[in-house]
Amino acid sequence: MKVRRLTELSLLTGLALIIFVVELRFPDILPIPGVKLGLANIITIYAVYKYKAVEVALLVLARVLLGTLFAYNFSALIYSVSGAFCCLVGMLLLRRIVPIRWLWLCSVMGAFFHNTGQIAAAVVVMGSFSVIAYYPILIAAGCIAGAFTGICAHLIINKIPEK
Amino acid sequence: MTKGVKVCLTVVVVIFIVSVSASIFIMLLSEKSNSKKASEENYAEIVQGNEILYRINLSKEPDRKFRVEYSGGGWNEITIENSQIFISDADCSDKTCIKTGKLRSEYVPIVCLPHKLVIRFGEQDE
Repeated sequence: MKVRRLTELSLLTGLALIIFVVELRFPDILPIPGVKLGLANIITIYAVYKYKAVEVALLVLARVLLGTLFAYNFSALIYSVSGAFCCLVGMLLLRRIVPIRWLWLCSVMGAFFHNTGQIAAAVVVMGSFSVIAYYPILIAAGCIAGAFTGICAHLIINKIPEK
Repeated sequence: MTKGVKVCLTVVVVIFIVSVSASIFIMLLSEKSNSKKASEENYAEIVQGNEILYRINLSKEPDRKFRVEYSGGGWNEITIENSQIFISDADCSDKTCIKTGKLRSEYVPIVCLPHKLVIRFGEQDE
Protein backbone atom coordinates (compact mmCIF):
# COMPACT_ATOMS: atom_id res chain seq x y z
CA MET A 1 0.00 0.00 0.00
CA LYS A 2 1.33 3.39 -0.91
CA VAL A 3 2.04 5.88 1.87
CA ARG A 4 -0.43 8.32 0.36
CA ARG A 5 -3.18 5.70 0.42
CA LEU A 6 -2.33 4.71 3.99
CA THR A 7 -2.41 8.33 5.13
CA GLU A 8 -5.78 8.93 3.49
CA LEU A 9 -7.22 5.84 5.11
CA SER A 10 -5.86 6.82 8.53
CA LEU A 11 -7.36 10.25 8.11
CA LEU A 12 -10.74 8.73 7.23
CA THR A 13 -10.52 6.38 10.22
CA GLY A 14 -9.78 9.37 12.44
CA LEU A 15 -12.73 11.29 11.01
CA ALA A 16 -15.06 8.32 11.46
CA LEU A 17 -13.92 7.93 15.07
CA ILE A 18 -14.48 11.62 15.82
CA ILE A 19 -18.01 11.39 14.42
CA PHE A 20 -18.57 8.16 16.35
CA VAL A 21 -17.43 9.65 19.67
CA VAL A 22 -19.49 12.81 19.16
CA GLU A 23 -22.53 10.68 18.37
CA LEU A 24 -22.10 8.79 21.65
CA ARG A 25 -23.08 12.02 23.39
CA PHE A 26 -26.38 12.27 21.50
CA PRO A 27 -29.44 11.27 23.51
CA ASP A 28 -31.10 8.04 22.43
CA ILE A 29 -33.78 8.50 19.82
CA LEU A 30 -35.72 5.35 20.71
CA PRO A 31 -35.33 3.19 23.82
CA ILE A 32 -34.52 0.16 21.71
CA PRO A 33 -31.14 -1.55 21.71
CA GLY A 34 -29.32 -0.86 18.46
CA VAL A 35 -31.29 2.12 17.16
CA LYS A 36 -28.95 4.97 16.31
CA LEU A 37 -28.11 7.29 13.46
CA GLY A 38 -24.73 5.75 12.72
CA LEU A 39 -23.25 8.97 11.38
CA ALA A 40 -19.79 7.39 11.21
CA ASN A 41 -21.10 5.37 8.29
CA ILE A 42 -20.94 8.52 6.16
CA ILE A 43 -17.22 7.78 6.04
CA THR A 44 -17.75 4.06 5.41
CA ILE A 45 -20.06 4.61 2.46
CA TYR A 46 -17.69 7.23 1.03
CA ALA A 47 -14.82 4.77 1.30
CA VAL A 48 -16.88 1.97 -0.26
CA TYR A 49 -17.14 3.99 -3.45
CA LYS A 50 -13.65 5.49 -3.47
CA TYR A 51 -11.36 2.71 -2.20
CA LYS A 52 -10.56 -0.94 -2.81
CA ALA A 53 -12.44 -3.64 -0.91
CA VAL A 54 -9.45 -4.56 1.28
CA GLU A 55 -8.82 -0.93 2.13
CA VAL A 56 -12.44 -0.36 3.18
CA ALA A 57 -12.36 -3.54 5.26
CA LEU A 58 -9.24 -2.33 7.09
CA LEU A 59 -10.82 1.07 7.66
CA VAL A 60 -14.01 -0.42 9.09
CA LEU A 61 -12.10 -2.90 11.24
CA ALA A 62 -9.97 -0.13 12.74
CA ARG A 63 -13.07 2.03 13.28
CA VAL A 64 -15.01 -0.72 15.05
CA LEU A 65 -12.13 -1.87 17.28
CA LEU A 66 -10.98 1.63 18.27
CA GLY A 67 -14.59 2.79 18.62
CA THR A 68 -15.28 -0.04 21.06
CA LEU A 69 -12.18 0.96 22.98
CA PHE A 70 -13.20 4.64 23.12
CA ALA A 71 -16.79 3.87 24.09
CA TYR A 72 -15.47 1.37 26.66
CA ASN A 73 -18.26 -0.94 25.64
CA PHE A 74 -16.62 -4.31 25.03
CA SER A 75 -19.80 -6.30 25.40
CA ALA A 76 -21.17 -4.54 22.33
CA LEU A 77 -18.17 -5.61 20.24
CA ILE A 78 -19.75 -8.81 18.92
CA TYR A 79 -22.84 -6.93 17.73
CA SER A 80 -20.74 -4.18 16.13
CA VAL A 81 -18.44 -6.63 14.39
CA SER A 82 -21.18 -8.85 13.00
CA GLY A 83 -23.22 -5.82 11.93
CA ALA A 84 -20.25 -4.13 10.30
CA PHE A 85 -19.19 -7.34 8.55
CA CYS A 86 -22.64 -7.96 7.01
CA CYS A 87 -22.96 -4.29 6.07
CA LEU A 88 -19.54 -4.23 4.44
CA VAL A 89 -20.00 -7.40 2.40
CA GLY A 90 -23.44 -6.22 1.28
CA MET A 91 -22.29 -2.76 0.24
CA LEU A 92 -19.15 -4.02 -1.52
CA LEU A 93 -21.34 -6.32 -3.61
CA LEU A 94 -23.90 -3.59 -4.20
CA ARG A 95 -21.37 -1.04 -5.44
CA ARG A 96 -20.99 -3.18 -8.56
CA ILE A 97 -24.63 -2.68 -9.54
CA VAL A 98 -25.52 0.62 -7.88
CA PRO A 99 -23.72 3.60 -9.44
CA ILE A 100 -22.36 6.38 -7.26
CA ARG A 101 -25.29 8.67 -8.13
CA TRP A 102 -27.54 6.26 -6.23
CA LEU A 103 -25.25 6.05 -3.25
CA TRP A 104 -28.01 6.59 -0.70
CA LEU A 105 -29.69 3.42 -1.96
CA CYS A 106 -26.55 1.46 -1.19
CA SER A 107 -26.47 3.11 2.22
CA VAL A 108 -30.05 2.06 3.03
CA MET A 109 -29.29 -1.50 1.99
CA GLY A 110 -26.13 -1.34 4.09
CA ALA A 111 -28.19 -0.31 7.12
CA PHE A 112 -30.52 -3.24 6.45
CA PHE A 113 -27.57 -5.67 6.30
CA HIS A 114 -26.10 -4.12 9.43
CA ASN A 115 -29.27 -4.57 11.47
CA THR A 116 -29.71 -8.10 10.15
CA GLY A 117 -26.18 -8.99 11.24
CA GLN A 118 -26.74 -7.44 14.65
CA ILE A 119 -30.00 -9.27 15.28
CA ALA A 120 -28.45 -12.55 14.11
CA ALA A 121 -25.61 -12.00 16.59
CA ALA A 122 -28.08 -11.11 19.33
CA VAL A 123 -30.10 -14.30 18.70
CA VAL A 124 -26.94 -16.41 18.86
CA VAL A 125 -25.48 -14.66 21.92
CA MET A 126 -28.70 -14.49 23.94
CA GLY A 127 -29.72 -17.97 22.83
CA SER A 128 -33.28 -16.71 22.53
CA PHE A 129 -35.50 -15.62 19.70
CA SER A 130 -37.34 -13.05 21.78
CA VAL A 131 -35.09 -10.26 20.51
CA ILE A 132 -36.57 -10.76 17.02
CA ALA A 133 -39.53 -8.62 18.12
CA TYR A 134 -37.21 -5.65 17.75
CA TYR A 135 -36.16 -6.57 14.22
CA PRO A 136 -38.88 -4.73 12.23
CA ILE A 137 -38.50 -1.56 14.28
CA LEU A 138 -34.74 -1.77 13.90
CA ILE A 139 -35.06 -2.14 10.13
CA ALA A 140 -37.55 0.71 9.77
CA ALA A 141 -35.32 3.02 11.82
CA GLY A 142 -32.26 1.69 9.97
CA CYS A 143 -33.76 2.56 6.57
CA ILE A 144 -34.33 6.16 7.64
CA ALA A 145 -30.89 6.46 9.26
CA GLY A 146 -29.26 4.81 6.23
CA ALA A 147 -30.96 7.20 3.82
CA PHE A 148 -29.84 10.14 5.96
CA THR A 149 -26.19 9.09 6.16
CA GLY A 150 -26.30 8.19 2.46
CA ILE A 151 -27.51 11.67 1.52
CA CYS A 152 -24.81 13.21 3.75
CA ALA A 153 -22.15 11.11 2.01
CA HIS A 154 -23.57 12.10 -1.37
CA LEU A 155 -23.26 15.80 -0.53
CA ILE A 156 -19.68 15.26 0.62
CA ILE A 157 -18.60 13.24 -2.39
CA ASN A 158 -19.68 16.03 -4.72
CA LYS A 159 -17.49 18.52 -2.84
CA ILE A 160 -14.31 16.44 -2.92
CA PRO A 161 -12.30 16.96 -6.10
CA GLU A 162 -11.23 13.89 -8.06
CA LYS A 163 -7.57 13.05 -7.81
CA MET B 1 -31.59 4.45 -14.14
CA THR B 2 -30.06 1.04 -14.73
CA LYS B 3 -31.81 -2.25 -14.14
CA GLY B 4 -29.75 -2.92 -11.01
CA VAL B 5 -30.81 0.38 -9.47
CA LYS B 6 -34.46 -0.32 -10.23
CA VAL B 7 -34.26 -3.70 -8.54
CA CYS B 8 -32.51 -2.23 -5.50
CA LEU B 9 -34.98 0.62 -5.25
CA THR B 10 -37.88 -1.83 -5.32
CA VAL B 11 -36.22 -4.03 -2.70
CA VAL B 12 -35.59 -1.04 -0.42
CA VAL B 13 -39.16 0.23 -0.75
CA VAL B 14 -40.56 -3.25 -0.05
CA ILE B 15 -38.27 -3.76 2.97
CA PHE B 16 -39.23 -0.38 4.37
CA ILE B 17 -42.98 -0.84 3.94
CA VAL B 18 -42.88 -4.38 5.34
CA SER B 19 -40.81 -3.36 8.37
CA VAL B 20 -42.97 -0.32 9.12
CA SER B 21 -46.19 -2.33 8.89
CA ALA B 22 -44.66 -5.13 10.97
CA SER B 23 -43.63 -2.59 13.63
CA ILE B 24 -47.15 -1.14 13.73
CA PHE B 25 -48.59 -4.65 13.84
CA ILE B 26 -46.38 -5.60 16.81
CA MET B 27 -47.35 -2.41 18.62
CA LEU B 28 -51.07 -3.03 18.04
CA LEU B 29 -50.69 -6.64 19.20
CA SER B 30 -48.98 -5.37 22.33
CA GLU B 31 -51.91 -3.09 23.13
CA LYS B 32 -54.36 -5.97 22.80
CA SER B 33 -52.35 -8.40 24.88
CA ASN B 34 -51.94 -5.67 27.44
CA SER B 35 -55.66 -5.16 28.02
CA LYS B 36 -56.18 -8.92 28.14
CA LYS B 37 -53.35 -9.38 30.57
CA ALA B 38 -54.66 -6.89 33.11
CA SER B 39 -57.26 -9.25 34.51
CA GLU B 40 -55.25 -12.46 34.28
CA GLU B 41 -52.25 -13.66 36.16
CA ASN B 42 -49.04 -12.24 34.85
CA TYR B 43 -45.98 -14.40 34.77
CA ALA B 44 -42.69 -12.73 34.02
CA GLU B 45 -39.60 -14.71 33.14
CA ILE B 46 -36.11 -13.43 33.73
CA VAL B 47 -33.79 -15.19 31.34
CA GLN B 48 -30.03 -15.02 31.13
CA GLY B 49 -28.38 -16.81 28.25
CA ASN B 50 -30.34 -20.03 27.86
CA GLU B 51 -31.34 -20.28 31.48
CA ILE B 52 -34.54 -19.09 33.12
CA LEU B 53 -33.36 -17.54 36.37
CA TYR B 54 -36.73 -16.56 37.81
CA ARG B 55 -40.38 -17.08 36.99
CA ILE B 56 -42.40 -14.52 38.88
CA ASN B 57 -46.14 -14.23 39.27
CA LEU B 58 -46.39 -10.48 38.96
CA SER B 59 -49.96 -10.18 40.17
CA LYS B 60 -49.08 -11.80 43.50
CA GLU B 61 -45.55 -10.56 43.94
CA PRO B 62 -44.97 -7.89 46.60
CA ASP B 63 -43.09 -4.76 45.58
CA ARG B 64 -39.39 -5.38 45.77
CA LYS B 65 -36.01 -4.73 44.26
CA PHE B 66 -33.30 -7.25 43.53
CA ARG B 67 -30.11 -7.56 41.57
CA VAL B 68 -29.23 -10.04 38.86
CA GLU B 69 -25.51 -10.55 38.54
CA TYR B 70 -23.90 -11.34 35.21
CA SER B 71 -21.13 -13.92 35.29
CA GLY B 72 -18.96 -11.84 32.98
CA GLY B 73 -19.13 -8.95 35.44
CA GLY B 74 -21.94 -6.46 35.89
CA TRP B 75 -25.47 -6.40 37.26
CA ASN B 76 -29.01 -5.27 36.61
CA GLU B 77 -31.31 -4.07 39.35
CA ILE B 78 -34.84 -5.26 38.72
CA THR B 79 -37.81 -3.61 40.40
CA ILE B 80 -41.30 -5.02 40.80
CA GLU B 81 -43.86 -2.37 41.59
CA ASN B 82 -47.67 -2.55 41.44
CA SER B 83 -47.48 -5.87 39.56
CA GLN B 84 -45.22 -4.36 36.93
CA ILE B 85 -41.62 -5.23 36.29
CA PHE B 86 -38.79 -3.07 35.00
CA ILE B 87 -35.03 -2.63 35.19
CA SER B 88 -34.36 0.30 37.48
CA ASP B 89 -30.58 0.36 37.39
CA ALA B 90 -27.64 -1.33 35.68
CA ASP B 91 -23.91 -0.85 35.43
CA CYS B 92 -23.75 -1.28 31.66
CA SER B 93 -22.66 1.54 29.42
CA ASP B 94 -25.78 2.08 27.32
CA LYS B 95 -28.61 1.78 29.90
CA THR B 96 -31.01 0.89 27.11
CA CYS B 97 -32.69 -1.68 29.35
CA ILE B 98 -33.62 1.08 31.82
CA LYS B 99 -34.94 3.34 29.11
CA THR B 100 -37.14 0.57 27.74
CA GLY B 101 -39.27 1.08 30.85
CA LYS B 102 -41.87 -1.31 32.17
CA LEU B 103 -42.57 -4.66 30.59
CA ARG B 104 -45.83 -4.11 28.73
CA SER B 105 -45.96 -6.38 25.75
CA GLU B 106 -45.92 -10.10 25.26
CA TYR B 107 -43.94 -9.63 22.08
CA VAL B 108 -41.46 -6.94 23.02
CA PRO B 109 -39.22 -8.05 25.89
CA ILE B 110 -36.88 -5.91 27.96
CA VAL B 111 -33.42 -6.71 26.68
CA CYS B 112 -30.01 -5.97 28.14
CA LEU B 113 -27.58 -6.92 25.41
CA PRO B 114 -24.36 -6.47 27.41
CA HIS B 115 -25.55 -8.77 30.21
CA LYS B 116 -27.48 -11.16 27.97
CA LEU B 117 -30.58 -10.60 30.05
CA VAL B 118 -34.15 -10.85 28.78
CA ILE B 119 -37.31 -10.15 30.76
CA ARG B 120 -40.50 -11.31 29.08
CA PHE B 121 -43.98 -12.53 29.84
CA GLY B 122 -43.97 -16.29 30.21
CA GLU B 123 -46.18 -19.31 30.30
CA GLN B 124 -48.39 -19.90 33.30
CA ASP B 125 -47.49 -23.54 33.76
CA GLU B 126 -44.26 -24.66 35.21
